[in-house]
Amino acid sequence: MSANPLKVEARGDRLALDAGRTPVASSEPGLPQRSLALRASGWLLVALVVASWVFVVSEPSAHVGDLISRETLDHGRDFLQQLAGVGEARPAYRDPGQWRQAARLAYRTLAMSVLAIGFATIGTLLTVMAGARPVLDEGRPWPRTLLFGLTRAAWIFSRAVPELVWALLIIFVFSPGILAGALALGLHNFGVLGRLCAEVVENLDRRPIRAVRSAGAGRGQTLLYAVLPSALPAFLTFVLYRWEVVIRTTIVVGFVSAAGLGREFRLALSFFHYSDVTLLVLVYVLLVFAVDATSVGLRRLAR
Amino acid sequence: MFELVDATKRYGPLVALAPLSLTITAGERLALMGPSGSGKTTLLHLLAGVIQPDEGRVAIAGRSTETLRPGRDLARLVGVMAQGFDLVPSLAVVHNVLAGRLGEWGIGRSLLSLVFPRELPLAQAALNRVGVGTKLYERTARLSGGEQQRVALARLLVQQPRAILADEPVSSVDPARAEDLLTLLVEVAAEDGRTLIASMHAVPLALRYFSRVIALRHGHLVFDRATTAVTEADLTALYDLRQEEARDVR
Repeated sequence: MSANPLKVEARGDRLALDAGRTPVASSEPGLPQRSLALRASGWLLVALVVASWVFVVSEPSAHVGDLISRETLDHGRDFLQQLAGVGEARPAYRDPGQWRQAARLAYRTLAMSVLAIGFATIGTLLTVMAGARPVLDEGRPWPRTLLFGLTRAAWIFSRAVPELVWALLIIFVFSPGILAGALALGLHNFGVLGRLCAEVVENLDRRPIRAVRSAGAGRGQTLLYAVLPSALPAFLTFVLYRWEVVIRTTIVVGFVSAAGLGREFRLALSFFHYSDVTLLVLVYVLLVFAVDATSVGLRRLAR
Repeated sequence: MFELVDATKRYGPLVALAPLSLTITAGERLALMGPSGSGKTTLLHLLAGVIQPDEGRVAIAGRSTETLRPGRDLARLVGVMAQGFDLVPSLAVVHNVLAGRLGEWGIGRSLLSLVFPRELPLAQAALNRVGVGTKLYERTARLSGGEQQRVALARLLVQQPRAILADEPVSSVDPARAEDLLTLLVEVAAEDGRTLIASMHAVPLALRYFSRVIALRHGHLVFDRATTAVTEADLTALYDLRQEEARDVR
């Protein structure tokens, strides 16, 4: 689209040179016009939104009415009151002993997340060069191509399986606990980080890398002096970002790997200890908040 | 020092360099001239041994570039200076300079040097020589374009190749600094009788600092003569042709 006016102008210039008259740009075909397709799609969007709502509300099996029924409101109110500990002599969130207990769990959860991102980072650093397209254009023997394919496949596989599923599989082998949860989280994030970091390497400026190579560096030295120094800051950013994601996922993995806040959360729900649930959610939110703040701070430092 | 025999390079249907034969003796100061896309950079890359000719052959110090593997052997013969984008921005200046020693170092020493810089006096001397001695531990990204060029030159001083190939060494610095940089480049090359080959855009600078000019257009040799023998007519020819091309494109 944007090339069109230029073309018209160039043609106009030559007309002016050839025949000595000013070009009549407005009569030229192919001038940008407000696209009919664009307008039509706008109206289509409006029609689609209206039709969807009509369908959802009129469809009996969707139970849309239940969302605001008397019954739902009652259930909701009861649950909120239980969470707030109405009628309890001492709700969990007002008990210092319970807080200390939750803080210990939060610490273990934090440990699980650090362990998980540590596993993922080590795995990534060990495989990233094998799984990135080559930065030096010097051709590649077939074993490297094979290794590249295998690494990519491993990444895809490990990130295609969600953390929760990894955890369910791992507790068949390891006893449930922090380590099992960390492994599950680490495996999934290994695939995610591997791909993100490989992209960093592939998008590096090639000129400094070639220059170091031409200064006499071998492959390993080129990695040390050109590739890694350029890529590490970006790696760090991604690692910290994934750490934030990991801490948010620990609670779900904790459900099944029987570790940290997730486990207590499930137990409290099962035993109808609703004010315990409130406490755990509060502590969890604080933990996530602290990790996010730390990560943002560290990322700023890395820049 | 360099010998080309009917060296040809094509990129698809585009002839980047038509069969070219020439000999460059050690210690020459040679400027490559010609409009953009004339084949200067291709020729420079052939001389640097980073690309191979499709036909013909290129030899550096009597050895065919096909037998020279990238790495130490090549680095001892030719040092390349690109347009100021060839330093690693996130590294300290000292490591960028010492990268010139990598051909002589093993991997362990190279790794150690990133923590405790090795052969520090050498790096310091090279930086002093090019006039940025105070920047030793600064992050390279913080330096100005001109300073980065000097650091790149310091790396070549440490690398000590027998020939220096520079791709538009002064195109990204202002005119006053361009003269300083060229003076330095020529001095550094002259010290140990090194060959200097640079692609140049600015005609007056090319004529003032170099002893021989090779002019290319469309991958063909237009002229090859001593700077003192370059006539007004030569240059007019080169530049008239250039305007004609511009008209053709339109």
